[in-house]
Amino acid sequence: MVTAMKRRADAGPILATALLVCAAYYVGANVGFILRFPPATPSLLWPPNSILTATLLLSAPRRWGIYLLAALPAHLVAELGVFPFPLVLSLFVTNCSEALLAAICVRRFSDAPTHFDTLRRVVAFIVGAVLVAPFVSSFVDAAAVTALRDEPYWFVWRTRFFSNVLTELTLVPAIVVLITGAPAWIRRAPLRNKAEAVLLTAGLLGSLVAVFVEPQAGAYPIPGVPVPPLTFIVPFILWAALRFGSSGASLSMLASVLVAIWAATHGRGSFPVPLRAESVLALQIVVSILAIPLMYLAALIEERRRAEKALSERLRFEELLSRLSGAFVHLPSAEMDESFRTWLRRLGEFLGLERAALLRLSEDNELLTVSHCWVAPGIDPGPRSIVIRSFPETVERLFSEQPFVLPRTENHRDEPPKDEDARGQGRVSSQLTIPLVAGGRVLGGLAFDALAADRAWPEEEVQWLRLVAEVFASALARKETVDALGASELMKSAILASLSNGVAVVDRDGRVIAVNESWTRFGRESNATTYAGIGMGANYLETCRQRARQGTPHAWDALAGIEAVLDGSMTGFALEYSGSGPTTDRWFAMSVVPLNRPEGGAVVSHTDVTERKRAELELQRSRQELAHFTRVSTMGELSASLAHELSQPLTGILTNAQAAQRFLDVTPPDLGELRTIVSDIISDDKRAGEVIQRLRDLLRKDVPHQLVLDLNALIRDVARLLSSDALIRNVTITLDLDPRPLTVTGDRVQLQQVVLNLLVNAMEAMADGAEGDGSIVVRTQYTDVEAVHVAVQDAGPGLREGTHDLVFEPFYTTKPAGMGMGLSIAKSLIEAHGGVIWAANNPGRGVTFHFAMPVSIKGSE
Amino acid sequence: MTESRTTVVVVDDDASVRRGLERLLGCAGYNVESFASARDFLARGDYDRPGCLVLDVRMPGQSGLDLHRVLVESHHDIPVIFITGHGDIPMAVRAMKAGAVDFLPKPFDAQALLDAIERALVKDRQRRRVTDRPINDRSV
Repeated sequence: MVTAMKRRADAGPILATALLVCAAYYVGANVGFILRFPPATPSLLWPPNSILTATLLLSAPRRWGIYLLAALPAHLVAELGVFPFPLVLSLFVTNCSEALLAAICVRRFSDAPTHFDTLRRVVAFIVGAVLVAPFVSSFVDAAAVTALRDEPYWFVWRTRFFSNVLTELTLVPAIVVLITGAPAWIRRAPLRNKAEAVLLTAGLLGSLVAVFVEPQAGAYPIPGVPVPPLTFIVPFILWAALRFGSSGASLSMLASVLVAIWAATHGRGSFPVPLRAESVLALQIVVSILAIPLMYLAALIEERRRAEKALSERLRFEELLSRLSGAFVHLPSAEMDESFRTWLRRLGEFLGLERAALLRLSEDNELLTVSHCWVAPGIDPGPRSIVIRSFPETVERLFSEQPFVLPRTENHRDEPPKDEDARGQGRVSSQLTIPLVAGGRVLGGLAFDALAADRAWPEEEVQWLRLVAEVFASALARKETVDALGASELMKSAILASLSNGVAVVDRDGRVIAVNESWTRFGRESNATTYAGIGMGANYLETCRQRARQGTPHAWDALAGIEAVLDGSMTGFALEYSGSGPTTDRWFAMSVVPLNRPEGGAVVSHTDVTERKRAELELQRSRQELAHFTRVSTMGELSASLAHELSQPLTGILTNAQAAQRFLDVTPPDLGELRTIVSDIISDDKRAGEVIQRLRDLLRKDVPHQLVLDLNALIRDVARLLSSDALIRNVTITLDLDPRPLTVTGDRVQLQQVVLNLLVNAMEAMADGAEGDGSIVVRTQYTDVEAVHVAVQDAGPGLREGTHDLVFEPFYTTKPAGMGMGLSIAKSLIEAHGGVIWAANNPGRGVTFHFAMPVSIKGSE
Repeated sequence: MTESRTTVVVVDDDASVRRGLERLLGCAGYNVESFASARDFLARGDYDRPGCLVLDVRMPGQSGLDLHRVLVESHHDIPVIFITGHGDIPMAVRAMKAGAVDFLPKPFDAQALLDAIERALVKDRQRRRVTDRPINDRSV
């Protein structure tokens, strides 16, 4: 259906062309008759053959038959009155054969049959159309004329050959150039070129008139010296060839020949009268011989000029390109939009386009949006975005990452009607789109539109534009990265601003390079911390050093910590300190973490932890209170056994003292025995004192005091304190202690309380069990992980299933009178010492409570 | 002389108390023998010698009360004076009911102990007069 429509659409122009050919042929034939030099049949200048040749060169071979047939009526009408019918027909055949031969030869050997602007094209034209075609066809023509009109064969051949050489040479290029190049030239050529053309035409016509039409006999430029008439024409033809190329040369020659032949045939000008065949031939040969090298010369000059123009164009483009890439190197992201617009304009103007646009492909590859656009004045900018689903071929080509041209027909097929209207009212003649690819991703495309005229996109130009596209693509990719960075920078500062902690960022030398609002407010409002108020640009380390010298507590620690983080020897540092000056009752936590970036640095933050610290201290205080309270109450429970413990030495003392009194009554007193008695009294007194001391230690309400101590010795003390109780309860306490001192760091009273609680718990458990010969075993040993291990094993009933952890909960008790605090306090005390406590039933009877805590790295006391 | 054969036996786990009592009672003119535990005393045998026992109540192993019960049950009615660092009224009542001469909480006055020993020896003598049967053939 499309073909049918196309055929109908084409029918109009073909018919018009055929009519035009017909008319031109008729006019040409009549002109030829006018320029005929009797008595020969061939004319001096025979335009119809050249008109046919030009027609065939300009049209597609499949239409040749139509156009040749179209010339037949004109041929018949023009010649039937002059020649007999058979001759008319044979002349038409020879005319057509000459045109066909010429057209076939030129099309075969020339890369552009309708152009005469390179040496190759001119050679193909001159050999094929100017020499071979007239040469061959003239044999047939001469034979027909000789046969039918009885004219001398070689005379006819010679006349026709030279006349056709001259006509083909001058007329074909003229017609072709007028049809193909003239309209564009008239539209586009600069005014000065047009002025020059007018001047040239006027000069040439003036000379022609002066030489051929109205010659003043004997009026030579140099008096008395005869100058051939062509002398005055040649400069103009040369001028035309040099300045306007082969088209100029052929047009000027055509004009000259027409005028000369008209003058010669009408007995005017400088030609001898009557005109002889020889002189006509001489004129034809002179003009042809002059014309052929002129055509060559014109072609060479044009070729050269075009090469120069291409070269200078390339140079200009390369300069443009280097300026373009220069402009985008180090261009700040914010200025990129403006730069894209500027350079689209420059490119568009440089290439003589109507529209240049930067298209961005959306993330989902659905939408092509015009992000930057330049249009020539008076041109509609077109749609802002294009849903690319509607352009399957465009998308495919975009993703093939190859430049592509959308000619007119393609646009018609691809675009939905409304887009077509929006886009320059469907006047897009040709569009070149070059994909923008960066890092293997299609970012969009560079689209160049030529709206007004047919536009070819030479390969070289496409290559240049690919380079442009590369610059644009990398700039776009950079802009995206920079914008993304900017966004993440914004997010970071928003996060920083939202923090209630004071945060400062320092570089590897300790200089403050960023602070958040809380930091500034901290420093401004309260001078709250030792370190807040260090502003941007100040050196944190230096400030710490100064404050340390001024005696600020913790400043040396802070300094050492920050330095360690900055030099990488620590991966983080934390410090809690109390405020100074007006903020002594406040606590702050400082933390330093390294900045993971090549140039190093650290983030320092200060947080007000007063509330937490207060709660912690409060908790610690109540824990101490509770521990003390339970110690006192435990002692209360043990008071009976303590009385027994004290009564032994007191009995010893009293008995010995009263015995001594009696010894003194004897004369002489036994001094040796008395001495022994006194030393026994002293040692008993010491025993009693030790008991009291141990008691006092346990009952003391004291702040914890860290010491390096021997856990074995401590366990022995507690066991001794409990020995009376054990005796009363009928329980034995066996110590199986590591022979080495068990050095730990801790508070003596707290650790004594742990052991005391565990032993009392064990004794009470065995009382519940009410099974005799109870024995408690306390074992101590070093473990292989830098820790000491203490186990208190009883022979009671053991723990019920599922209560192993419960027993350490406060107020958990299985005893009617128990408070349930002993084990819970032991647990909190052990954990405060960095240890762990746990319980496990024995394989046989009872349970063993274990605790382990770190070995002191310092030596024993 | 029966008096010279009279022996006061002290059983107490505390060495210092034992030494003090040996000196005191020795000074007062008694024969004193002391043991660190009930087991040591029982190991000696010969419970029917004239005299009395000074027994500590709380001792590792067999307590003083246990020892007294064993002696009573085997009809060795040797008079007993309890001394204790950890005594309460129920314990004292139980001891007295079982036939103890006295119950002295530590530390005690020397005279109080000597008085108690004197009473115990009187009781021992009366006991020996009432029972003229030999008692050494009874086994424990």
